[in-house]
Amino acid sequence: MRGPENKIFAHVDWTFLALYFILVILGISTIYSAVYDPDHPSLFDLDTEHGKQIMWLGISLFLGTIIFFLESNFIRKYAYWIYGTTMLLLVAVLFTSPIHGARSWFGFGSLGIQPSEFAKIGVALALAKFIDQNNAVKEGKSANKNQGLATLWGVIPFIAKNRETALIIGIPCALVLLQPDAGTFIVFTSFLLVLYREGYAGNILLFLVVALIIATITLLVADTNFMLLFTKIKLSGKAGILIVLGVLTSIFLLVIRNFVLKRNRKGAYRALIGSVLVAVALVYTVEGAYTNILRSHQKERIDLLLGKIDDPDGKGYNINRAKAAIGSGGFLGKGYQAATLANSSQKHVPMQSTDFIFCTWSEERGFVGSFVFIVLYTFMLLKMIVIGERQRSVFTRVYAYCVASIFFYHFMINIGMAIGLAPVIGIPLPFFSYGGSSMMSFSVLFFILLKLDSERKVVLQ
Amino acid sequence: MKPNDDRKYVIALIFVLIPLIFVVKLFYMQVVDDKWKDRAAQISENRILTYPSRGIVYDRNNVKIISNEIYYDIHVIPKMAIGIDSVALVNLLGITMADYTAKMNIARAFSMRKPSEIVRQIPPNEFSLIAPELYKYPGFFEVARTLRVYPKKIAAHALGYMNEANLDDIKKDGYYQPGDYIGRTGIEKMYEKQLRGKRGVKYYLQDAMGVSTGKYEDGKYDTLAIQGKNITLTIDAELQAYGEKLMQNKLGSIVAIEPSTGEILAMISAPTYDPNLLVGRHLGNNYGKLQEDTLLPLQNRSMNSAYMPGSIFKTVMALIALQEGVVTENASFPCNKELAGCHDHPMAQNISDGVKFSCNPYFIQLTRRIIQQRKDRSIFKDAAIGIDLWAKYVRSFGIGVDLKIDYPTNVHGNVPDAAYYNEHLKFRWAFSTVQSIAIGQGEVLITPLQMANLAAAIANRGYFVAPHFIKKIEGEKIPEIYTKKQKTMVDAAYFEPVIDGMWRVVHEPGGTAQRARVDSLHVCGKTGTVENFKKISGRVYQLTDHSNFMAFAPRNNPQIAISVFIENAGFGGTWAAPIASLLIEKYINGEVLDTAKENYILNANLIPDASDIIRK
Repeated sequence: MRGPENKIFAHVDWTFLALYFILVILGISTIYSAVYDPDHPSLFDLDTEHGKQIMWLGISLFLGTIIFFLESNFIRKYAYWIYGTTMLLLVAVLFTSPIHGARSWFGFGSLGIQPSEFAKIGVALALAKFIDQNNAVKEGKSANKNQGLATLWGVIPFIAKNRETALIIGIPCALVLLQPDAGTFIVFTSFLLVLYREGYAGNILLFLVVALIIATITLLVADTNFMLLFTKIKLSGKAGILIVLGVLTSIFLLVIRNFVLKRNRKGAYRALIGSVLVAVALVYTVEGAYTNILRSHQKERIDLLLGKIDDPDGKGYNINRAKAAIGSGGFLGKGYQAATLANSSQKHVPMQSTDFIFCTWSEERGFVGSFVFIVLYTFMLLKMIVIGERQRSVFTRVYAYCVASIFFYHFMINIGMAIGLAPVIGIPLPFFSYGGSSMMSFSVLFFILLKLDSERKVVLQ
Repeated sequence: MKPNDDRKYVIALIFVLIPLIFVVKLFYMQVVDDKWKDRAAQISENRILTYPSRGIVYDRNNVKIISNEIYYDIHVIPKMAIGIDSVALVNLLGITMADYTAKMNIARAFSMRKPSEIVRQIPPNEFSLIAPELYKYPGFFEVARTLRVYPKKIAAHALGYMNEANLDDIKKDGYYQPGDYIGRTGIEKMYEKQLRGKRGVKYYLQDAMGVSTGKYEDGKYDTLAIQGKNITLTIDAELQAYGEKLMQNKLGSIVAIEPSTGEILAMISAPTYDPNLLVGRHLGNNYGKLQEDTLLPLQNRSMNSAYMPGSIFKTVMALIALQEGVVTENASFPCNKELAGCHDHPMAQNISDGVKFSCNPYFIQLTRRIIQQRKDRSIFKDAAIGIDLWAKYVRSFGIGVDLKIDYPTNVHGNVPDAAYYNEHLKFRWAFSTVQSIAIGQGEVLITPLQMANLAAAIANRGYFVAPHFIKKIEGEKIPEIYTKKQKTMVDAAYFEPVIDGMWRVVHEPGGTAQRARVDSLHVCGKTGTVENFKKISGRVYQLTDHSNFMAFAPRNNPQIAISVFIENAGFGGTWAAPIASLLIEKYINGEVLDTAKENYILNANLIPDASDIIRK
């Protein structure tokens, strides 16, 4: 009785698909409101961003349909090929002429294609295939034994042992830095979450948190001075951090000497010394990167986030307008098409249809809207984990986590930036922001996952 | 279970934790904290104020004495000002190139897209020449605004002037904003609240460049400007103008009151100035010039100067003595020149004679009876009791007290009492010590307004209404105090002998003010000649006496009470009396037939020079 079509759609997760459509449609309606122009009132007018976005949605759905009629083995089989193609595109884009100081776009008339968006698909597939074939991430030898920051000692052996994994992620990282595109680079670090899930040393997350704290403190005091207590010696902020680290080290030394069993002491000392060295290296790296590598506008964004500079009408213009738009939405919002800031006729919030689309949504829908949106998004992210965890195929599971991690990073940085919890990094909000490349790449990521998941029962006959 | 399966929970936890932080932060930003709503309003809304036109001021015969005139400011939007022939423009606008460049730089620094002022308050006649040329200069346009105009050019002191509200004004009254005009003196200050009206506000949405993009919430919060209330004053513009004409080349003041109502018919302080000088862009300049003038044209002598009253004060002494019963109307006192200097005259046989002859010794002896009533055995204590009683009487005529006129002043003259003398005299005193108060010299100080009010109180036979300028306020009642009769402590019955004396001053041979006679009118008056000392570089000089006259007319059913005070002009009868009579004639008869008297006054220049100082 069952025809082939039935079989294809038999195990599709309709809830997941519904989430896709809800988000995409809300996104288009928000773009429509944000850029509404009385001269082009039609929803489908291709001169408008909402019209183009609908076109991109159509293309995305077309791609999604193709994916559904592909053999899922095809996706698995050609994962490396897809990866390789996207990497070639990333190389090729470096030879275009720069737009706004970065070589990120292939332009076709008024349309542009951003290969780094598609590279995410390639990396996700390649990573899934590689881990599937090798069945696990190989552990660094000392990883489980060491504590805290000393975990980082494991990084080098890890990379040595998982050279291929490191390359799969490292190549696109290096290529987008050459564009340069810091935002996409940060998104590529999301794959660390996948590695974590697949067995890489668990303390990586703890390490990241501690590293973030140290980095923040370092940046806060980077160019400050203070007087050493009871003296007239003037010290730099960096020296202060080092002194604090020294004091902490001494305390831990005493703790270890008095409270740790003798036979464990040697390991503990090693871990402590390792941690201290890593911490000191981190302080120097962060400070060096801040002063030497970051460009001035990036420094400004970090300083703004940390509150070191306050310039609401100058350097902090974007973020100040974005926050004012969101904050003025109130509990219920100003109503659809009633935004007075995040609206293209007002132009107070820059890039309000792309990176700052959340401002329009939030100003018009208020806290209720913000809450609904975040719940929807969180639900989708958790759904991705559930999908990943119900797979018998390692490939699909890894791929699901890749998709989840990418979406999560975009969500975290995009919303965090709009409400002033993250520095201004120009990356889109998946399914919501205007943009053809992102619309298509996120849709393809999504539809591959939907396709793979629909075959979860047949994959390992 | 596989080794790393529990890690899915850690990831799920992160996926929940971050959104949770976002929700908390969003709740704080959107619901709890109002800071961003204020910020958003500041960014996206533009308040445009609409200014009401200020209330018009009319005189008692509905003649406009203050109105508004449209003036034009030239503004520029720098972004639109392209290809400007700045030399031609500077010539057209009548400003200097340096001024133009400086203003343009300020405008550009302020905003390229918002208008800034380039020239201020161009009068309509000048603007009519500029308007047809202005189209050649894109980005430049006119903004109309109203300024005060005083079509009759009279009553500068009474009407007052306006200037820009300063920081103090803004602090005191939240209504004002920098750049607003506020009534600074006179009627403009007194009735500021009624005249100013209420500003309207329109809220517009503006885009990131500050350009309006539409009305905010369809104008739900907009308010209309409410026009200022028109007011009518008690002043008679014609009488005022005539008085100002007569007072040319004289220093001094005239106050004319309608006795039955307390309405001020004219208030002249000379020298005066054209109130239109203190309007608009030339205000600062003109004010400076007026302020430097040694004749003090900005001083309102009719209210803000207090003088010794001189002989007009004798009328009050007579009234008090009659009321106290210390004399009868037939009281006679010898002209004892040892008490005080006097001129030669027949002996005063009664009160009326005393007033007519203005006999100094007569009134000193009469006043002694008021003050030394032998209520105490000690002559000093008796004098103290007496003078306090006397002071109460004098004050009941509105002398030395705040008359509550609707004009900002804090000069109220002085009536000495026991406490005053105890404080100011270093020795024990009795009546003989202070007797000069009986003839209006010494410590008594009175303003010309109070003199006119005294004339009104006598004309009314024992009461007055607080003098005032306000006759009508659109949609509002005038304060009750301006309709209430205030009784003096002297009963109506005692006024006739004094009024008779005042009639004889004008009408009988030997009266001191025969120049005040007006054919066909019964004028009652009393002259005063006020001695006048001035300290010049450490030495006291006696200057030419002030000439003083108060009067009312007609004798029965009086319509006008008047005081004329001419500084350094000599005898009261010589100058002040004829001026008063001309005004009385003008007011009651509507025209002056006595052109000889008129010319005599118009041709007189009584402004003192160095020869007016008498070496003492």
